[in-house]
Amino acid sequence: MTDVTVKELAPADRSAGKRATGKIVFYATVIFMCVVLVLPVIAFFINAFAFRWFYPQLIPDEWSLQAWQRLGLLPPPGQFSIENLFAQWASVPDVVRALGLSLWIGFLVTGVSIVIGMPAARALGMYSFRGKRLIEFIIITPTIVPPIAFSLGLNINFIRWDLALEAAGINLGLSGSVLGVSIVHLVPVMPYVVLTLSGVFANYNADFEAQARTLGAGPFRTFWHVTFPAILPGLFVACLFAFLVSWSQYLLTFLIGQGRVITLPILLFSAAGSGNNAVIAALSLIFIAPAVLILLVSSRYLSGESGAVGGFGRV
Amino acid sequence: MTHVRINNLTKAYSGVDAPAVADLDLDIPSGRLIALLGPSGCGKTTTLKMIAGLIRPTAGDITFDGDSIVRIPPEKRGAVMVFQNYLLFPYMSVGQNVGFGLKMAGVDPKTIDQRVKEMLNLVRLPDISDRRPKQLSGGQQQRVALARALITKPRVLLLDEPLSNLDAHLRDEMRELILSVQRDLGITTIFVTHDQEEAVLLADRIAMIFDGRLQQFASPDVFYRHPASERIARFLGGVNFLPGKRQGDTVETDVGSFRFAPGGEDERPPEDGLLTIRPEQIVLGQPTAENTVQGRVVSRIFVGTYTRYRLALGSHQIEAVRSADVAGDFAEGQDVPIGFPADRVWMVRPDQAA
Amino acid sequence: MSWERWRIPLMLGPTVLIILVLFFGSLGFGFLQSLGFQPQLGNTELNFDAYISVMFSEEHSSRFWAGLLLTFWVAFASTFISAALAIAIALLLRRTFFGKRLAVFLFQLNLPIPHLVIAIGMILVFSQSGLLSRVAGELGLISSPREFPVLVRDSSGIGIILAYVWKEIAFFGIIVMAILQSLGEDYEAAAQSLGANRWQRFRYVTLPLIMPGLMSASIIVFAFTFGTYEVPRILGVRHPEMLPVMALDFFLNPDLNARAEGMALSIIIAVIVLILVLIYMYISARTIRRG
Repeated sequence: MTDVTVKELAPADRSAGKRATGKIVFYATVIFMCVVLVLPVIAFFINAFAFRWFYPQLIPDEWSLQAWQRLGLLPPPGQFSIENLFAQWASVPDVVRALGLSLWIGFLVTGVSIVIGMPAARALGMYSFRGKRLIEFIIITPTIVPPIAFSLGLNINFIRWDLALEAAGINLGLSGSVLGVSIVHLVPVMPYVVLTLSGVFANYNADFEAQARTLGAGPFRTFWHVTFPAILPGLFVACLFAFLVSWSQYLLTFLIGQGRVITLPILLFSAAGSGNNAVIAALSLIFIAPAVLILLVSSRYLSGESGAVGGFGRV
Repeated sequence: MTHVRINNLTKAYSGVDAPAVADLDLDIPSGRLIALLGPSGCGKTTTLKMIAGLIRPTAGDITFDGDSIVRIPPEKRGAVMVFQNYLLFPYMSVGQNVGFGLKMAGVDPKTIDQRVKEMLNLVRLPDISDRRPKQLSGGQQQRVALARALITKPRVLLLDEPLSNLDAHLRDEMRELILSVQRDLGITTIFVTHDQEEAVLLADRIAMIFDGRLQQFASPDVFYRHPASERIARFLGGVNFLPGKRQGDTVETDVGSFRFAPGGEDERPPEDGLLTIRPEQIVLGQPTAENTVQGRVVSRIFVGTYTRYRLALGSHQIEAVRSADVAGDFAEGQDVPIGFPADRVWMVRPDQAA
Repeated sequence: MSWERWRIPLMLGPTVLIILVLFFGSLGFGFLQSLGFQPQLGNTELNFDAYISVMFSEEHSSRFWAGLLLTFWVAFASTFISAALAIAIALLLRRTFFGKRLAVFLFQLNLPIPHLVIAIGMILVFSQSGLLSRVAGELGLISSPREFPVLVRDSSGIGIILAYVWKEIAFFGIIVMAILQSLGEDYEAAAQSLGANRWQRFRYVTLPLIMPGLMSASIIVFAFTFGTYEVPRILGVRHPEMLPVMALDFFLNPDLNARAEGMALSIIIAVIVLILVLIYMYISARTIRRG
């Protein structure tokens, strides 16, 4: 086994040539892969701005903003001015309404899930107690069980609870309301918030808080000056994921919203059947803009943050 | 048995000014056990990985028995590296780990089993073949890693900090094991360490490397007695340096002149340099001995088995260590004769920075 | 009674309550309904009629079994293909090269894009008048859109699989890249030093090392692709139809009796996913015990 075949080695010039070829193949592969992976996004851009795009043209001869005008986001052709643009937006076209509603629900769900989830994450990340495994199981289960399994029952439950509350004289109106939709978004969102934050708290040393208290800081100032800065990066990631998961919900919004809560995914889904590719593409671009923004902002926190990364699986 | 030669070996990284390894020349006769010693970041591990083939040199050559190997991929080189953190594959049993190299070479399972057994016996760990690496102590993991490397009968064995992750009592055991295995198999072995003690304990010869450059290549005792430079002397624990000028075998300093015993032919102390002596070699309280001057005790720390003195010598301060076995003690402020035995004194090149 | 004793329950309470009531409560109620519990229709007796009807009745059985087969096929194929491609790409992107940051960003670009949008994107890319068909036309490979193979809204679920692959490559990719990064290249270097060639290093070192993380991710992806509604709704056909689409069809049927069947289907989906997860957990626990 000791007789390593020294004579087998390739001449220097050939191995240099091989390396150059290898480099070209490598770059070609990487570029091909990137192009293929972003094909959908490329298709959105072309479709959203194409005009009379006849087969088999790969690049349209004419470009236009007609899809955006049709969506009511831009004034009709030939009437472009800043005042008209404002007037157009002020008339609140469906897209703008859906966009606003999606943002509003997303922010609401994010805020509520963080406030509710942070203490739970702290308990799971920092303490050991009886029944911890069971609690973890309860919190993780919604990330594995397909949403369809509980959303059908939830749909009926909301209607029942509304009826029961009405009978008791409380007109809450969970079903078909923004409130109801926001509440059910908590189900897919909470597990990721708790998972991400409990990971943060598991690596957090509470002795810093004790130190601050002995140095004279009250509970609130301790949180603000000690706890908050320490968990800020993780908190930031948790917020982004909470928003993203809420932002991309279709089925829950559809079933609980009863057609009365029109968020962007609902609008996009109904447009998908229309066959107007330009409008579909324009809507898609609007829908993915914040998501890509979130990726840009959060990418440096992502690697290794498995609790948070799991959230992408549900988007 | 493989004769390793390293000629002008250089590794430079783009965007970094100083090369990691610069113009390194080493001649390692077959069957020797050589240490590459230096502080962390000095380029010693880079050198080891270049020999293993895991890093491609920028320039220079490495030959095994006269044949250049720098273009041979690591898996065909026959130079096996044992990593500092052992890197036993966690999902394999100990036996599978040890047999890995033979499996890669396509050896039949029966032979592998038998050789694994032999190897585990060799590293004195019989009967753990079915365990997982996680279940082993650090010392055991180290020995398994050694067995895994030796099973392929490598031409050259490369060890990265072989003792540094072990407790004091395991070190002795491991040291003996490495020495006996290396002697028995006669494998040319090169190891890397930042710990002078580790180098001295194991190596036939030590290559001292600073900043990617070879400083001195000599046997351990030569290093202690005749370091080539102030920096090497300091790295090996030297603290006493008195500037002086050499004339023949005598050094003139501003506290007196000292005779010293000449070294070997290739060890030529500088004319203008620093006189150095290790603290434990200084003789205190013998006024008639050769090379003795008067000093004063500045401070004294009793450490149990020895006493450490800080001594004023003219405008200089030096340190001496006196074993508790030796009778007599000196109080702070007391004048004391300080003797520098001629065969313990040496002249070194000062640091450029100094 | 001290406050300390109630501290942890109070911290966990709201989160657990939300999930128990909204998730488990609805799951349980859905299960009840699948057993025929419909008080508003006067049905309070429990039976398995809906399950039997869905799985074995002449009316629904062929639709159900074809749908189940399609669902398994789509979930397995999507998970396997995207995992394999993601590993290949992650290994490719491990080297240092000019433009690496951009390549990694594009690799992850589909990660935050909702499945719904990717599904729509697949129509624009893969339909007979889509982007790829036009590329083929420009290259002269086909002369009319009809010659382009039917890749979306096809009966074998190719379009659905394509959408999941596009999406989950990014998901697997970020996980595999994170594992590779935390492992470093030392294990592979050690193997190489012991004589393992490129393929052997992948087969005996890299793959086993990333396997645990890869399997967990696969479970998430499998469960998701098994139970998602939007993607097969947009990219599938009426027959065969993936189970989630079928479940919602039943549920939204004006005939309230079909509701129990919809519920039964959704419970079947959940049970299948849970069984697979349990099998996986059992296997991995056994591997860990052995190790």
